[in-house]
Amino acid sequence: MGLVEWIVRLVLSPGVFAPVIFPGLLTALAVLLIVIWAERKIAARVQMRVGPLYVTRHFGGVLQMLADGTRYMFQEFIVPETADKVPYMLAPALALTLAIAPFALIPSAPGFAPVKSPYSLPALLAILASTPLSVLLMGWSSNNKFSIQGAVREAFMTLAYEVPLFLSALSMAILYGSMDLEEIVGRQFLPGALLNPVAAFTFFVAMVMSSGRLPFDIVEGEQEIVAGPYVEYTGIVFGIGMGLAYLKLYALSLLYSLLFLSGWEPLPRALYSVYPGLAGVWLFAKAFTLMLFVVFLRSVYGRYRLDQALRAGWRVYLVLAVVSILLSCLLRVVVNV
Amino acid sequence: MSSYVKNFGGHVRAVLTGLKYLVKPNRITVYYPEYYVEPPEGYRGMIKYYPEKCIQCGLCAMICPAGAMKMYVKKGEKKGRPGVNYQRCIFCGFCVDICPQDALEMTKVHDVAFSSLEELVFPPEKLAVEVQSPALLRGAVKVKPVFDEERGLRHE
Repeated sequence: MGLVEWIVRLVLSPGVFAPVIFPGLLTALAVLLIVIWAERKIAARVQMRVGPLYVTRHFGGVLQMLADGTRYMFQEFIVPETADKVPYMLAPALALTLAIAPFALIPSAPGFAPVKSPYSLPALLAILASTPLSVLLMGWSSNNKFSIQGAVREAFMTLAYEVPLFLSALSMAILYGSMDLEEIVGRQFLPGALLNPVAAFTFFVAMVMSSGRLPFDIVEGEQEIVAGPYVEYTGIVFGIGMGLAYLKLYALSLLYSLLFLSGWEPLPRALYSVYPGLAGVWLFAKAFTLMLFVVFLRSVYGRYRLDQALRAGWRVYLVLAVVSILLSCLLRVVVNV
Repeated sequence: MSSYVKNFGGHVRAVLTGLKYLVKPNRITVYYPEYYVEPPEGYRGMIKYYPEKCIQCGLCAMICPAGAMKMYVKKGEKKGRPGVNYQRCIFCGFCVDICPQDALEMTKVHDVAFSSLEELVFPPEKLAVEVQSPALLRGAVKVKPVFDEERGLRHE
């Protein structure tokens, strides 16, 4: 009996519950399956089509992605003879680890953060900024002209989006006078998007760039370079490569909700009194709606060219990020949040 | 600077248009195995063969531009009878046009999809049997394309 109690307490402790259940692994997996299906379905609706349908006909084909994933599971995993074997096998594992790690820093309710640190915002951004390295490693070790092209594009794109992303996130830290995500949510009497709309817009665009969704689908570039850095991967590792961008998008959407959409407020008191981990319902709902909007953009836009994306990143969004920092300083002086 | 503002307005308009179609989708897909679009009169579908009219002249096999028609000669006979290989057939209707006895005709069935390549080869005996659309046999609902002022193409 003591053992069962100990296991239950271990699972319900914030250090395990947050990375493993919500907002971590299990929720991320469910979100991944549903969002990819939703992307296909939304694009189909806008383009006069139907989209995936015949897997679970009555629910509009929700289990389509699960069926695809199962198929990936049973496919042969081929290692090309010319590939550099060790990094080729290591890079996907590293990429997945780096994509999952940010969830250990995201608080889902007041007083319920797995890692309580006064620097959780820059730490989260730093982990997210290191994912392109593993993608670069994937492309390089595959020893294929398409994949190396994709890897170099990833490096270019990183230069385009990383600086505006950081600056617009840190401008919010200046505005609230704290780098702790929990405190940041606590100090939002208004949603941050209303206080500093410039930072909200810049962060949103940098987020879309960072997760490689259309209109900045440049790294994968289906029509030009097949699948970019993931071109030599087969089976479940290809599925992981596909899911990486969505995991990144999920982490960034959660961060966006915390910074600009006042996180878990209004706090559901009843759920919070039952168990604090359940109080992140609003946070999840906001992040998921945001993700749906980002994948909806696929049906509106075409793909930007690499030079256009770089020009936009440096000439427009960097300037906007600097403006957002100035705006934050001004608000801090005038309003003194 | 003004061009950036104009571009922003254009982006907003594009997203709003997309949202409009997301809320009010304009689907033109026909759920094929459940619904069956009725082909118009004179549609050139699969070929039906009437062996009792045929005089075994072989003109259909000669004119076939894709080499899909072949004369199958039975043992003990001098002349053959036509059979069609649908892997090659381009549904041009030349064989039907040239037949002096009207022993061949085009039906309205267009479901030329089979689970194996061998099934696509129709010897004369198989060609003489009335072809049926598998979708209709399964009880598909027949629909007709209708031109709509607001939506463009509809099926009902």
